Amino acid sequence: MAVELGGIGHSVKRKEDARFIRGRGQYVDDVKLPGMLHLDIVRSPYAHARIKGIDPSKALAVKGVLAVITGKDLVPLKLEWMPTLMSDKQMVLPTDTVLYQSQEVAAVVATDRYTAADGVAAVEVEYEPLPVVVDPKKALEPGAPVLRADREQKNNHIWHWEVGDKAATDKAFKDAEVVVKQDIYIPRIHVASIETCGIVASFDKVEGKLTVWMTTQAPHAIRTVIALVAGHLGLSEQKIRVISPDIGGGFGGKVPVYPGYVLAIGASVLTGSPVKWVEDRSENLQADSFARDYHITAEVAAKKDGTMQALRVKTIADHGAFDSAANPSKFPAGLFHIITGSYPFQAAHVEVDGVYTNKPPGGIAYRCSFRVTEAVHTIERMVDILADKVGKDAAEIRLQNFIPPAAFPFKSTLGWEYDSGNYAAALKLAMEKIGYKDLLKEQAEKRKRGELMGIGISSFTEIVGAGPSKHFDILGIKMFDSAEIRVHPTGKATARLGVKSQGQGHETTFAQIIAEELGLPVGDIAVEEGDTDTAPYGLGTYASRSTPVAGAATALAARKIREKAKLIAAHLLEANPDDVEWVDHKFQVKGVPAKSKTMQEVAFAAYTNHPQGMEAGLEAVDYYDPPNLTYPFGSYICVVDIDRGTGEVKIRRFVAVDDCGTIINPMIVEGQIHGGLTMGLAPALYEQITYDEQGNNQAGTFMDYLLPTAMETPKWETAKTTTPSPHHPIGAKGVGESATVGAPAAIANAVVDALSHLGVRHIDIPITPWKVQQLLKEKGVAE
Amino acid sequence: MKFEGTLDIAAPRERVWAFLTDPRQVTACAPDVQSLEVADATHFKVVVRTGVGPVKATFAMNMEFVDLVAPGRATVRARGQAPGSAVEMVNTLELSAVGDRTTMRWTSEVTVSGMIASVGARFMQGAADKTTQQVFTCIKQKLEGG
Repeated sequence: MAVELGGIGHSVKRKEDARFIRGRGQYVDDVKLPGMLHLDIVRSPYAHARIKGIDPSKALAVKGVLAVITGKDLVPLKLEWMPTLMSDKQMVLPTDTVLYQSQEVAAVVATDRYTAADGVAAVEVEYEPLPVVVDPKKALEPGAPVLRADREQKNNHIWHWEVGDKAATDKAFKDAEVVVKQDIYIPRIHVASIETCGIVASFDKVEGKLTVWMTTQAPHAIRTVIALVAGHLGLSEQKIRVISPDIGGGFGGKVPVYPGYVLAIGASVLTGSPVKWVEDRSENLQADSFARDYHITAEVAAKKDGTMQALRVKTIADHGAFDSAANPSKFPAGLFHIITGSYPFQAAHVEVDGVYTNKPPGGIAYRCSFRVTEAVHTIERMVDILADKVGKDAAEIRLQNFIPPAAFPFKSTLGWEYDSGNYAAALKLAMEKIGYKDLLKEQAEKRKRGELMGIGISSFTEIVGAGPSKHFDILGIKMFDSAEIRVHPTGKATARLGVKSQGQGHETTFAQIIAEELGLPVGDIAVEEGDTDTAPYGLGTYASRSTPVAGAATALAARKIREKAKLIAAHLLEANPDDVEWVDHKFQVKGVPAKSKTMQEVAFAAYTNHPQGMEAGLEAVDYYDPPNLTYPFGSYICVVDIDRGTGEVKIRRFVAVDDCGTIINPMIVEGQIHGGLTMGLAPALYEQITYDEQGNNQAGTFMDYLLPTAMETPKWETAKTTTPSPHHPIGAKGVGESATVGAPAAIANAVVDALSHLGVRHIDIPITPWKVQQLLKEKGVAE
Repeated sequence: MKFEGTLDIAAPRERVWAFLTDPRQVTACAPDVQSLEVADATHFKVVVRTGVGPVKATFAMNMEFVDLVAPGRATVRARGQAPGSAVEMVNTLELSAVGDRTTMRWTSEVTVSGMIASVGARFMQGAADKTTQQVFTCIKQKLEGG
C-alpha cells in the first residue's frame, strides 16, 4: 500500500469533516429560496377518533396564512393515501378517522414558520374519540376494535410469515434432553437523529420541474416513488430532481416517506412557490417511524452438555397503524431469520405475525439491517439462559457450539449462506483482551462479599449488504447499487454513487477504494452523492449496504477504467498490452520498471492522444448486483457493577472485537464502532417509547426519551480480526451497524449474570435502575 | 386519572347546591378562567389557560350538567381542546346535610390526550392537587364567609 495515495487500509482523515467542523455543512433546513412558504401540521391529540369536522376559518384569518389543507382537499388529487414501502398504504391526511396520537390531520401553509404555527393552533377540529388498542396481543383478540376500516380483512392481523421446518423442529423439541423457553420483549424505540426530517419542495410551473431537497437516505428511490404516486398530477420522472444534501443522521428513520414530504410537494405544485416543512423534535419522536416493538417467545432444545439442537420462535410484531416498515418486499419481518446466529442448529422454525395498533407506523431499522438486532438479542440471551440451565460458562457454551471456520461458506438452518467467519477467534481475542479468567475469579470473590458484578458476552453474526436481486427489492426495484467514475484530463477524478452518506464518511472511504484501484491520490478524487440529476441510480444507504454494494460497484467501475487505461498506457509505451502490467499503482512494461506510465499520464492521453479507433475519455459506470449478502461478526464482552441501593448499572469495561472483513479506513471503522456501541448502550439501558392506555406517547421529548450522552457512555475498547468476504471485490463486509446489533445483548447478559445467583434469568431491555431495584427488592437484596 | 375527596362546608346544603350548580359562581372560583359563556341552564363554555409542567395551553371547554338531582347530586361532563391536546372530565358531587353544615363527596375522572398527556403526564397529579386546593379554598371562603 502506498501511504501517499491514502488507499485501502489507511486512516485518511475524513474529507467531509472540513466543512462539518466549521459549521459549513448544508442541511435541508439551510436551504432558503426566494418566496419560500412554510408548512406546519395540525396533529391529532387522540390515538383513535372520528373526525367530525375541521373548521379552518380562524386559521385562514391569521395574517400570512395562505391555505389550510385537509384530507378532503386531497381526495380530488388522489393524494389522501400513499403507498408504504411494505405494500401497505398510509394516510397522508385522514378523511374520516385518525389512528394514532400525533397523526397528521391538516396542514397550514403560511409566509413564515411562526405564522404557520399560529395557523396550526387556530385550526378547529371536532373529534369523536373511539376505543384505543395499544397492546398488540389485545388487538388480535376477537372483538377488538378493527382499526383499518379501509381493508377488506376485518381484523387487526396484517400478515403471518414463517420460515423453517416446523415438523423437524417440533420433533427435536419432543426428543430434547433440555429445553429452555423465554418471553423477550424488544421495546419500541426511535432513532432520534439529531437532524429531524424535512423538505424544501420547489415546483417550477413553467418548466414543470420539481426540485426537492429532502432528508432521505434513498434519493433515487424517492424520485421514483414521487413519479409513481404523483404522476397523474403531471410530475414526470425526468423532471423530478431529488437532492439529499448533508444529513444529520439517518439510522433507518430517513428511509420512509412521511406525509409532511407529500404535503410540502403538493403545496408547492399547487402554489408554484417553494415550500419548506421541517418537523420539530416532538413531532419527530411522536409521529415518525419507530423501530423494533417485537414480542418474542423463544425456545432452545439442547443436549444435557449444552449442545444446541433446535430453535423455535414465535413473534408478534407491533407495526402501529400502518405497516410502513422499510424491509425488502419478500421479507415482511426483515432478515429476522438470521436468528440462528453463530450456531449450527439442526432444525429451526420462526413465525412472525404483524399486527395493527393505535400507534405511529413503522417499523424501520434502528441502525441495523432489517430486524437483525431483534434476532441477535434473542439468540444471545437464549444461549446464556441455556448455559445457566446446563451449568456451563457463557464463553464455554459458545465455543462449544460455534459454526467452525472450516464449515464456511455455511448454509444456515433457515436458508442463509454465511460467506465467511471465524467466531472462536473473535471470542478468544475478546476474552484475552478483557482478562476473562481473572474476571471470573474476581466475580466469585465479590459475590461472597455480597457485591453485584456481572460479565456478559455477545457473539453475534450480522447479515448486511442487501442484496442479491433475485431475493431483494423494495417496491419491485432490485437492490443493486451503482458507481460512476470520471477521470479528468489532469488526472483528477469525480465519482458519483447511488448511495447517500448520513455521516458515514463516504466522501473519504469511496475515494480510498478508487485511490487504491487507480493509483490516484485520495485528495484528487471527489465523491458526490445524493443528487438524482447527476448520480447513477441506486437504492441508498441503510442496512450497512453502502460498502458491500456501492463499494463493490466503485471497485469494479475503477477496474473497468484500469482496463481501458492499460490499453492507452500500452499505446504510450509502444508496447503490446499483454506486456504491460499494473505494478505499484502504475503501468509498466513487464520486467522494465524504467518504462512506466502513471494514471495521470494515461488520463491526459485519454483526452489528448488516445489510440486511433478507441473512444476518447476515461470513465466507467458499474451497477453491482451482489452475489450474496455479507456476514460481519464479532464478540463483545461487557463487565458491569450494580449498585445494590439504587439498582444503577455501571459499565466498567466493554471490549468489542469486530470482524468486518477488509477494512478500508481503520479510523472511520473505529468511529463507526464507537457510535454503534453507544447506540447499542442506548436501548440496553435507557431508550424506550411507551404509551398510556389512551395511546399517548410518553416519550415525546428528550426529557423523557433518554439518549445517552458522554456522561453515560463508557470507554469503549475495540479490537479486530479480519476475515475477508470471499465474494466482495475487495473483501469488505460493512460495519455501520454491527456494534448496535451486538452490544445490547452483551450488556443485558452482564446484568443478568450479576443477578443470576439470586435466581434472575432474564430482564427485558431497557434495564433501568427502577427495574433492577424492583428485582433486588423482590430478592431481598436492595438496601 | 381518577381523583376524589370529601369537603366539609359550614353552610346549609341548599346554599351549597345553588352555588355549585351556578356556572358563574363556580367558575369565579376556578383559577385561570379567561371567559365564560352560558348557553342555557345546563350548557356552558369556559376558556381556561392552564399549564401542566412545561406545557401551557388554552383549553376551550364545553361543559354540560347531566344528572342534576337537587339538592343532592350532580354530574358535570366537560370536553375541551387546546392545540395538540384534548381533555375530557366527568365530575360528580354528592351533597349531604349534616345539621347546618354540608358534606360534599366529589369525584373527578380526567382523560387527557395529546401533547399535554405526552409531556405533562408526570406533572398531572401535582397540578390537579394544587388546582383542587385553590378551588375548594375559594368555595369555602365564599360560602362560609357570608
